[in-house]
Amino acid sequence: MGPRLMRSRVVWTTSLTLLAVLVSMFATSSARSGLGLSAFFVALLGGGSLISSTAIRGAHPVVTRALISLVVVDVTLLATFRLSATANDNLAIGAAMSIVLLGLSFLTGSSGQISLGNGAFMGVGAFTVAIWANHHATTPIAFVLVLAVIAGALVGLLLGLPATRLRGPYLAGMTLAFAVAFGAILNLFGTWTGGDSGLQLPEAIYAPRWLIRIFGPGTSSLTYNSAWLADIAVLVTGVALFFMANLFASRTGRAMRLVRDNDVAAELVGISLPRTRVIAFVVSAAYAALGGGLWTLINNSVTPSTYGFALSITILSLVVIGGIGTIPGAIIGGIIYAYSADAIAWITAHTGLNSQGNVASQLNGIIFGGLLILTILFAPMGLAGIVRHWWAARARK
Amino acid sequence: MMDTFLTSRNVADVLGGLTNGVIYSLVALSLVLVWRSTRILNFAQGAMAMIATYIGFAVLAPTTNYWVSMGIAILAGMVLGGLTERVLVRGLYGKPEINPIVAMVGFLLVLESVAAAIWSTSSRGLPTPFSIVDYQLAHKPVALSPFALYEIVTALVVMVFIALLFQYTKVGLQLRAAALAPEVSRLLGVRVGRMLTLGWILSTAVGSITAVLVASNYFTGLTPTSMDGVFAFGFIAAAIGGLDSPVGALVSGVALGIILQFVGDYLNSNAIILVALGMLVVSLMARPNGVFTRSAQRRV
Repeated sequence: MGPRLMRSRVVWTTSLTLLAVLVSMFATSSARSGLGLSAFFVALLGGGSLISSTAIRGAHPVVTRALISLVVVDVTLLATFRLSATANDNLAIGAAMSIVLLGLSFLTGSSGQISLGNGAFMGVGAFTVAIWANHHATTPIAFVLVLAVIAGALVGLLLGLPATRLRGPYLAGMTLAFAVAFGAILNLFGTWTGGDSGLQLPEAIYAPRWLIRIFGPGTSSLTYNSAWLADIAVLVTGVALFFMANLFASRTGRAMRLVRDNDVAAELVGISLPRTRVIAFVVSAAYAALGGGLWTLINNSVTPSTYGFALSITILSLVVIGGIGTIPGAIIGGIIYAYSADAIAWITAHTGLNSQGNVASQLNGIIFGGLLILTILFAPMGLAGIVRHWWAARARK
Repeated sequence: MMDTFLTSRNVADVLGGLTNGVIYSLVALSLVLVWRSTRILNFAQGAMAMIATYIGFAVLAPTTNYWVSMGIAILAGMVLGGLTERVLVRGLYGKPEINPIVAMVGFLLVLESVAAAIWSTSSRGLPTPFSIVDYQLAHKPVALSPFALYEIVTALVVMVFIALLFQYTKVGLQLRAAALAPEVSRLLGVRVGRMLTLGWILSTAVGSITAVLVASNYFTGLTPTSMDGVFAFGFIAAAIGGLDSPVGALVSGVALGIILQFVGDYLNSNAIILVALGMLVVSLMARPNGVFTRSAQRRV
């Protein structure tokens, strides 16, 4: 295929896919599901045909990543029209968690540092959204979320400054201290944060009128909260995913991986170690804050106890079990988180444990902690690594 | 004159800070012992000590002797420390530096969950061997109780014991040699593997004593997560002093305790950990290897 032919194919298929994604959204939301489904398959085919071509993946990586994100978001959005309220809640919570995991995965996977405080960074975003919403009730969602990201990045910068000179264990310990301190810090600013009881949002997040007007008032996904919030969470996750995929592959991302693998070599080729480390740390804090901000919107409230040290450990477990330093790993981690409570309830029911007892209430920690140890000892690249390994072994045959 | 001085607010802060500070020093010392020998920061340090304390005091009925329970807790801690090094940690030497961090955090999670599953999350008061009522001087309390004095004396005894062990015994020499030059020591006949295990055993013994002291304090009691906060302060002390320096751990632990007591008294008790975090950040930016470590460039 010549370069001109390839470019025209890229342009045509991309436009076709975009169009099909739009049609599939509109048609499905307004109950013409037959048309929606066919348009959705066209989108899948269009996106798939581009992504599957190695030549195009190499020549137009950004387009490829955008299409992957778009198709993933399209698939999930279509699902939210069909799911129950509970399932949509799970989806929203898990999607927001995926964003947090992307951030930590990036920090660890590309700069070799680790943070035990990302639960607290989530809390920074969560409280930013709640505090702002309590003073300015009618702010657009996108704006509050950007505020959360900025707040997370600022706190991340403050704590990340020593990261310029620190190595692994020191930084991990410092972020652990931050996670343990977070509750007291919230109490110190109790007049804003509401102390131990936290904050309620002044009103539930309903879909804006103009959106309902476009999609039609009968649209199932916009009429009840869970689906609408799940749509928001999935959209934001899609955007976060797209940025992260580009960041991983960018000059900065490559510089970071070199810092991780060999910091002396990195310095020799002119990469600034302090700058690289701080950027990685700030990005991870900002992503965590974005996820936390979404959680506040989804739960309609925020409590300090949610963002304790335990959450930070959970985040670390999910990243490691999913596959540290990989984008699919972060998504797998988010899915695990969304369904872990259901899975634990299932285990409790099927083993005859007393569901109110001490053992049942601690099962979550025992299983996650055990899996965390087993993963790092025997499969340090996590589930994503296992799948990739299996894939490579199969291809060799 | 002397009486009013001893019962004044500032002296009370110093004494109260000293009592907290020796606890931070002990945690820091426990971390340094493991870090020096195996280059692993033991994030499960507090949880391991907590488990040992539960075993010491929960397995025996509360009516039994405090000192017997303390002895059992120390023994349980040593066994746990040795087993952890042999089973869990041994596979982590020479791996990327995040692997041991992740593994120890996982261990922390497992230990805290298992403790809560067995003994529930509700706080459990332990018997105190000495009165917690402050000494009186001219009908005014001095901020020091027999129990606080016992904490300080115990900490001093532990520190002196560790110092003597490292400086004046053959085992101490082997421990230092195994940590500083494992290859050479192995050639000279030091059983390096055993020394690493012994380092962990010593560290968890110190940790268990600390946890018993913390848990017999009336206000804290014993819960599966009661060592989290203490661990955070202990780590801050160890990091400020330098993870390689036992003396640094002790000095910065006490200093941290006293400074934070003043912060809590004059500012706000919620500001304590924020100030500690600030001190950590500033000190790490100024001296990444710790105040008490001779500055050495990391070798490639």
